[in-house]
Amino acid sequence: MTPTPTAPAPPASAPLFDVVDLARTYRRGSETVAALRGVTLSIGAGAFVVLAGPSGSGKSTLLNLMGGLDRPDAGDVRFGGVSLSRASDAERIELRRRQLGFVFQSFNLVPVLSAYENVEYGLWLAGMPRPERRARVERALEVVGLADRMTHRPDHLSGGERQRVAVARALVHEPRAVLADEPTASLDSKTGGAIIALLVELNQIQGTTFVVSTHDPAIADLAPRVVRLADGRVVADERRRA
Amino acid sequence: MLALIALRNLSRNRRRTALSLLVITFGTAGVLLTLGFIRYSFAGLSDAIIHGGLGHLEIAPAASLAQGAGLMDRSGAPPALADWRILRDRVESRPGVLAAGAAIQFAGVATHGDRTGAVLGVAIEPERVRRMGMSVKLRGGEGLPDEPTATGDDRVLLALGLAQTLGAAPGDVITVMSTTVDGTLNALDLTVAGIFTSGFQDLDGRLMQVHVETAGRLLATSHASSLIVTLTDTGATAAVAADLESVLSSNPVPLAVVDWETRAPFYRQVRGLYIGIFVFLGSIIGVLVGLSISNTLQMSVMERVREFGTLLAIGTRRSQLAGLMTLEALWLAALGSLAGTLVTVAVAFLINMLQIEMPPPPAAVDPITLSLLIQPLDFVWVAIFMAALLAVAAVPPMLRILRLEVVEALGHV
Repeated sequence: MTPTPTAPAPPASAPLFDVVDLARTYRRGSETVAALRGVTLSIGAGAFVVLAGPSGSGKSTLLNLMGGLDRPDAGDVRFGGVSLSRASDAERIELRRRQLGFVFQSFNLVPVLSAYENVEYGLWLAGMPRPERRARVERALEVVGLADRMTHRPDHLSGGERQRVAVARALVHEPRAVLADEPTASLDSKTGGAIIALLVELNQIQGTTFVVSTHDPAIADLAPRVVRLADGRVVADERRRA
Repeated sequence: MLALIALRNLSRNRRRTALSLLVITFGTAGVLLTLGFIRYSFAGLSDAIIHGGLGHLEIAPAASLAQGAGLMDRSGAPPALADWRILRDRVESRPGVLAAGAAIQFAGVATHGDRTGAVLGVAIEPERVRRMGMSVKLRGGEGLPDEPTATGDDRVLLALGLAQTLGAAPGDVITVMSTTVDGTLNALDLTVAGIFTSGFQDLDGRLMQVHVETAGRLLATSHASSLIVTLTDTGATAAVAADLESVLSSNPVPLAVVDWETRAPFYRQVRGLYIGIFVFLGSIIGVLVGLSISNTLQMSVMERVREFGTLLAIGTRRSQLAGLMTLEALWLAALGSLAGTLVTVAVAFLINMLQIEMPPPPAAVDPITLSLLIQPLDFVWVAIFMAALLAVAAVPPMLRILRLEVVEALGHV
């Protein structure tokens, strides 16, 4: 598989995400759980960052806030200079449609749509004309190595193939960043490793920013930057040469 | 694309979809068949009224109506329509008029041997009556002759109940006594030509038919009570009535043109009753179908919360998801209505072919044939009704979707 470059990689130093003193609590019955307790983080455009930590450390909550899926109790997430805390619902929807991509642990494909249609859906939402959609979807599925599986529905694809479709869906509209929440957790280690390798490759070739959460140390080791979380706090921010 | 997803979503749980479609199919067929029966009843009743003797229109001196005479029973008022033959020819020359004929109503007493009965007499022109498409339902003997009979050879048709009261049969001679237009008593011997039925038990107990010339001799008048008019198209009744009113406005004696619905108020009462029954039945069917489908859609939403969360996460608006749910309901409505239409066509064809005989309705004499009269537009209206009903049924699941929080939905198990 040879990923096709779609956009020049922006300089790694340009800040894309600015997370400032972010806090989020949840009610669980009568109990209040602090999922994030003042997280501050900056991620440049074109970066590949892994959020590592055990279950309950706040990785998914942080990703949800960075993706504009949730609102913080305190602090702010600025994406490309735009405050997600202050953005309206409509603005956040528009941002998710055009500038962000999501990959989920359980693939979360629409079961009644084929691989092609699942990838096409986001482009349809963005109002892209059909011929352009076709070209983009075919290219995206080719990039993830599923050019010959376009007409298959998710239940006729393996776990790894489904996650590749999800990756294609996340990338097809050429977002500035892709947020992947435990993308390998439902896969065996070999397939999971292949998916991470694909994400890294896409990051290097296309320059798309990736923020990936995982509790798998082996995967964390593949990333040039690892932000470790524990009990809702950043406990380490490790940068290494890839 | 949402329409495609909505259609494919119906195949997720095929058994549930099949049950939903079954409910809509039977609901649609139930409404259509009820509508077909009611429409047939309306058509049958209006036809019975029009061709049973009232015609589409009646033309009578306005004064006789203003004097408070009943719209159907004018037997208490002396015939007041002079020169009715000229008038009849003028009316028959108007577009839309099939034929017209004179009618005289009178009350009297009939005797046969030692038996006596009150009678309501209706005098007609038999040949005109035939041209007007009105038929007498003979139960014995023969009809009245077209040409007036000579004095002393007058004929009469007796309704079933009256014939029984008098103990008279075809060939018997009865004596009918009535009041002439100048208030004196007069009597005629009439030979019973035949026995007929009006279709209504109450009327059959008093009704008799004679030729207008016979009635003229009995009442000592050349006037008629009114002109009965039938049209080529019942739907044109109002237009032809307006035309006749305009044409006859120059008549020296003011005339009134009365349509059959005004003369037969019970038609409107029956129509109102049937429509009430239809609305009641339709409402029950609507509630059952609506609740059933709403429940199905709610279950469908519950099973797809995480999927909805995903769609919201990647940029779908809540309103689009609500639209998706509405589209699923509309697909169900479309498919169910189509299946219901096919079922209705098959059932209606079968019922109409079998000619099933039903007992006579209350107060009627003859049994009726069960038949269904469904018009193409009925299918369209019922399909629209089902679509609207299911769109309403989709509201509770839509509200649930509109309240979904993305993060909670993504974590839904």
